[in-house]
Amino acid sequence: MSKSILVIGGGFSGITAALEAAEVGHEVYLVEKRPFLGGRVMQLNKYFPKLCPPSCGLEIQFQRIKRNPNIRCFTMAEVVSVTGKGGDYEVAVKIRPRYTAPKSCDLSELAEKLNANVKNEFEFGLSSRKPLYMDVPFAYPGRYVLDIDHVSEEEKKLLSKSPFINLKDEEKTITLNVGSIIIATGWKPYDVTRLTNLGAGSIANCINNMQMERLASPCGPTNGKIVRPSDGKPPKKIAFVQCAGSRDENHLSYCSYICCMASLKQASYIRDMYPDAEVTIFYIDLRTPGRYAKFAEKILADEKVKTVKGKVAKVEEDMATSGVWVTAEDAISGNKITELFDLVVLATGMQPSLAGESLPIDVEMDSEGFVFESKDKGIFVAGCAAEPLDVMKSAQSGTAAAMKAIQTVRGR
Amino acid sequence: MTMVSRVKPDIDFIKEIQQIGGENLKKCYQCATCSVVCPLSPMDKSFPRKEMIWAQWGLKDKLVNDIDMWLCHKCGQCSEMCPRGAKPGELMAALRNMAYRSLVGPSFLGRWMSSIKHLPKLIAIPAIIYLIIWFITGSIHGTPFPLENGKIDYSLLFPGDYTIDPIFGLATLFIIYSFYKGIMKLKQVFDSQPKTFVVGYERPKTIWHALYDVIKDEVLTHKKFKDCGEEESDEAKFKGHLMLFYGFLALFIVTGVVAFTHWGGKVLPFLHMKYPMPIYNPIKLLANVGAILLVVGLVYLTKRRLNDTGKDASSYYDWYLLGLIWVIALSGILSEILRWASIAGLAYPVYYIHLISVFMLIAYLPWSKLGHLVYRVFALAYARMIGRVSTEVDEQKNKLFVI
Repeated sequence: MSKSILVIGGGFSGITAALEAAEVGHEVYLVEKRPFLGGRVMQLNKYFPKLCPPSCGLEIQFQRIKRNPNIRCFTMAEVVSVTGKGGDYEVAVKIRPRYTAPKSCDLSELAEKLNANVKNEFEFGLSSRKPLYMDVPFAYPGRYVLDIDHVSEEEKKLLSKSPFINLKDEEKTITLNVGSIIIATGWKPYDVTRLTNLGAGSIANCINNMQMERLASPCGPTNGKIVRPSDGKPPKKIAFVQCAGSRDENHLSYCSYICCMASLKQASYIRDMYPDAEVTIFYIDLRTPGRYAKFAEKILADEKVKTVKGKVAKVEEDMATSGVWVTAEDAISGNKITELFDLVVLATGMQPSLAGESLPIDVEMDSEGFVFESKDKGIFVAGCAAEPLDVMKSAQSGTAAAMKAIQTVRGR
Repeated sequence: MTMVSRVKPDIDFIKEIQQIGGENLKKCYQCATCSVVCPLSPMDKSFPRKEMIWAQWGLKDKLVNDIDMWLCHKCGQCSEMCPRGAKPGELMAALRNMAYRSLVGPSFLGRWMSSIKHLPKLIAIPAIIYLIIWFITGSIHGTPFPLENGKIDYSLLFPGDYTIDPIFGLATLFIIYSFYKGIMKLKQVFDSQPKTFVVGYERPKTIWHALYDVIKDEVLTHKKFKDCGEEESDEAKFKGHLMLFYGFLALFIVTGVVAFTHWGGKVLPFLHMKYPMPIYNPIKLLANVGAILLVVGLVYLTKRRLNDTGKDASSYYDWYLLGLIWVIALSGILSEILRWASIAGLAYPVYYIHLISVFMLIAYLPWSKLGHLVYRVFALAYARMIGRVSTEVDEQKNKLFVI
């Protein structure tokens, strides 16, 4: 029997679950696929409920992790197999090589010397990065990653001279014994290429809402200036397309919970930055759960934020201006609207990260890829792996999962 | 000040629509995707979203008076893109079926045409009439399968002058009258609808001009059909319908020429032609080309309905008409072949079936889906009169502005 707990996924809910369990004395392994913790929250400009920047909440969490010897973090790591049963699992974790020394030094000068420019996935392709990189300056662990596939042989010679680079680093697999598992694998933005009537991702100035977060973020590709990706110009007319993939049986059959609020929040980014900009939000129903209704009221009181009840079902590029034609039917008036916008933001829904993929763990998933907890097996789910949530509720569900996991490993 | 009016839903009406093709309409959550993806829907008061909510609310008056049901050519794009599987395209078809059923009386005919359980009665009417005729003429000839100089001659059993032309003539008068009533009713209904003012749109001078435009631009070319959807199945529908249309047109011309020369021949003897016509006679050739067009068109349309079940389901109205045209085409062609082959025992019964099916096509026309031939053409002409046209079709002109 093992009293340790495994948390899969180092986003907000996973970190919360790990900390809650560790801070009451349990040994916790936190496994994260990417090189840094923080998950989707790290990519946001500001997050609900208080519209803090991610550095605010995550910084504290990272300090708590750093100071707590009960937590062992594995980044660039994936669970490859799980054997055993509830209370006594043997978990194999594959860890990809990072090729850098375990010290938090600034390798930016060295990174600049490398030639390759790689599409930056963290920035959703809005910029490129060097093969030696950190996502953001305050990333955790604050340790660079070397993307060795994009480094030439000559550059390797240069890199090998640095005491902070370890080209001999290798992939390894470790075995952990745990009593309970928390799945906190989170979500991904719905793939816009499947939204064929909404431009399928081929229109430069038709972006998704996560790209909008990066544009607005001070450490993003434009240092926080919201501009059109095609020409870097500030947009004057911006449209938000709600339910881009959500509440649609051809795509995601459920409501993604927070996209309406996200668009209202992003409308406030735009209005704060550009006093003359006009924002139009096209929606089916504006969903403002609980206390968020107050926030919606505040944003919608702005006369330059307009709403149209009617889902956008057609988006076309205007070749002359690189603007975007948006067509919807205003269901109140019953007339169709075709309007040219400088920038269009698709409020893409949350798809569980595990959709179309599989975990090497025997758990039940629904047809959309959301995971069901299994109390008998001591496997619990936190955050958006279970259902679409905001950050606050993700944290709550992380705490709840930690409590259940503790009950499993200690018995009641 | 906003007028608040209480919605009075007609629950029975909702159920009725659900039964004749709009079974999924309650799933609609009014996102309006359908109106946008529709290639034919106008910019103002677009369809079919508004029809969906009218149907959900049971607003019978609005729905039965709706001109837009006739503007829809049912490509199924709305049903395919619908996020809820509410199938707006099926509702539009259901509304048309409802119009065939109740636009004009007698109401029992509308009812009989709406469900397969009444089909035997509809078959029985012509079947009994022509069976009695067959019985009488057969008795006169002393055999149910008489021959003239060793050759099959259908007019021995069913002489045109006495048994075909009067019956079909009466049926034709009956349907012309019914269509007249139907159009008057439609006109009254459309006149009562609110009008829109469209800038940049040149209206036809009279309804006859509009009718001419519709026939020239839409009926003969099937342009809207072509605009309606881009998939392979839409292409099949376009081709199939076009062939069927021209097949019928050819057969209509043949029938017209035959009737004219026959009855005209009684006054002006030089018009008289001898029947059956030889195969190389241009009129006979046209008849055979028409028959082939019918069959090829039918193959396209039937295949599409059988394969293309994902978008919109087919209703009884669809299958009744398709099935009937199959019977007409096959029995007609077989009658000709069996006559050549001199197989009297088969030829006469097949011709009998042909007569029954043609009677069913003509006498019940205003209550069948084929009623769209008149109602849709009238509605399209009316829509041109009031400027209710889709901007996509008028792309070559400047953008229309609706006030």
